[in-house]
Amino acid sequence: MESNRTFLTQLQILTKRLLLRVIRRPLAELPNIFISAFFLFVYDGALGGVFGGSAQGTPFDFANGNFVNFILPVSIVSASVSGGASGIYLVEDIESGVFKRYQSMPISKWAIILAPMLVGALRVLLQAGLIMVIGKIIGADPAVGAVGYFMVLSIAFLWGMGFAGYSVAAGVRSGSSQGAQAASFLFFPALFLAPTFVPREALRGWLATASAYNPTTYVIEAMRAIMVDGWINDIIFKGFIAAGSFAALTLTFAVLSARKATEKA
Amino acid sequence: MLAVDVKNIKKTFTSKQDTVEAVKDVSFQVKQGEIFGLLGPNGAGKSTTILMLTTLLSITDGKASILGIDVETQEKQVREKIGVALQDTGIDNLLTSKELFFTTCRLWGYNKSDSEKRTEELLELVGLTEAADRRVKTYSGGMKRRLDLGLSLVHSPEILFLDEPTTGLDPGSRRVLWDEIKRLRDTGVTVILTTQYLEEADELADRIAIIDEGLVVAEGTSDELKASIGGDVITFLFETEEDIIKAQQVLTDSVQEKMELRITVEDGASKIPGYLKELTSAGIEVSSVSASKPTLDDVFLEVTGYRLEGSEEPVEETPTSTRGR
Ligand SMILES: Nc1ncnc2c1ncn2[C@@H]1O[C@H](COP(=O)(O)OP(=O)(O)O)[C@@H](O)[C@H]1O
Ligand SMILES: [Mg+2]
Repeated sequence: MESNRTFLTQLQILTKRLLLRVIRRPLAELPNIFISAFFLFVYDGALGGVFGGSAQGTPFDFANGNFVNFILPVSIVSASVSGGASGIYLVEDIESGVFKRYQSMPISKWAIILAPMLVGALRVLLQAGLIMVIGKIIGADPAVGAVGYFMVLSIAFLWGMGFAGYSVAAGVRSGSSQGAQAASFLFFPALFLAPTFVPREALRGWLATASAYNPTTYVIEAMRAIMVDGWINDIIFKGFIAAGSFAALTLTFAVLSARKATEKA
Repeated sequence: MLAVDVKNIKKTFTSKQDTVEAVKDVSFQVKQGEIFGLLGPNGAGKSTTILMLTTLLSITDGKASILGIDVETQEKQVREKIGVALQDTGIDNLLTSKELFFTTCRLWGYNKSDSEKRTEELLELVGLTEAADRRVKTYSGGMKRRLDLGLSLVHSPEILFLDEPTTGLDPGSRRVLWDEIKRLRDTGVTVILTTQYLEEADELADRIAIIDEGLVVAEGTSDELKASIGGDVITFLFETEEDIIKAQQVLTDSVQEKMELRITVEDGASKIPGYLKELTSAGIEVSSVSASKPTLDDVFLEVTGYRLEGSEEPVEETPTSTRGR
């Protein structure tokens, strides 16, 4: 009991410290949030005219008359990549020697590893939340009602934790911030090997095949169901499963890697 | 009880390519309340030794204990007793030193108001009160070292490990740290420090172990080490190479360094006239001669067979060793 409390206190202190670091570097938050917002505006601007309200009554009315609803999930998935910062935070501390200092103190090693993940998670929630606010302002309106925002945010959170886990594992294993940053390179092809601009039925050939194996597909489809179509439970469920499995997988990988990294040589 | 008791510790790093015996056989004992200096060149095994004693590296062979607590089996208890400032200072450049002290106090288990109090105390102690609200990024090398020292003192450790605390600092900043370390010793803290500087070991350490290629090759107080050479050093300075060559016939046990010849003899001052007479009668011109007590430099040469080079001028930023992560 006592040691649980110590653990939580340590986690809280270490998390606060990392948040302070984030606040000291506000510009580091900009690129990802900017790209995500940019996607939203550009795609809505370029495609919203054709596939939005004017597509009603045609076979191309997959956005149900509101293209912002349809494209918002793409921006949110992009925003959730910000979870990949977790690994960078951790590797920065390894590189600066702060990690070693903590190891020489009687601090739980799990608190040291978990703190950057928590900050990554917070980052995902804030960035995805901000994109949603922008989406709402330019006309998003979830088909399932306001609870839809909460559900989309939950999926984004799981998805973002997946990136957090991946970046922590990659960072700890490579011992360099480049290794941790590789998490975002993985993301870009994944975002576009998916029904990014049109529903999956409209994809052809190899892209149709690739997207079927890409978990991003199921995450986007679940968010779209919530935003565009309403309670299509099996699709929504699949999205939660895809994002949840990704998170579980990479977090396990992260824990295993971290255990190895904190072992004494 | 001994502050630190190290018995034949050894560290072997094994990788796919090769094995490195970073520490071959190191033993020493540190009494409570003394400053103990591990003196040796780059690559001697100083940092590896410190990392083993501070629970950050496993010990391949041998035994070590801190205040009677076994380093290998009772990590957590050891960590509570020791303060550590590693060679690569673990400092967060984006925060201020006040924030760093506060965070570290909290991590050591102080509550918020005690942490605030302790932060003020430590800032004062290491002379950073003025700079407390500035980001560490703007600090000089000396300030960072003092901050690092302060951070290792948060929990008032009984034993303090400092790995090359003054490497790369200018003489002024180095002196400030020396005074700091001596003050700590005077309050009862035991200090184990490593250094590449003869002068630092001489000035600061109550006892010294010279470490070379993973082995302790000499140990004692600075005076004991100097006395172990047995006698005084007489230095003869010559004008020409020719004279040196001829003089070497007369001074058979001498060691040459540039235009000088040195010999170590008992009671050097009284023997100078005799040597001078011999040299003059052999037609050799001596431009100056002096007798002195041996220095730590002479001791180092004697036990390792080479001089600790470049130890007097401030060295460039220490290269971070290629430590596997
Ligand atoms: N993690 C490591 N893996 C392999 N070799 C190492 C490692 N750490 C240190 N060494 C080697 O061990 C020797 C001693 O290093 P070190 O203890 O850092 O010396 P010092 O601190 O006296 O300069 C060096 O040859 C160094 O290259
Ligand atoms: Mg070293």
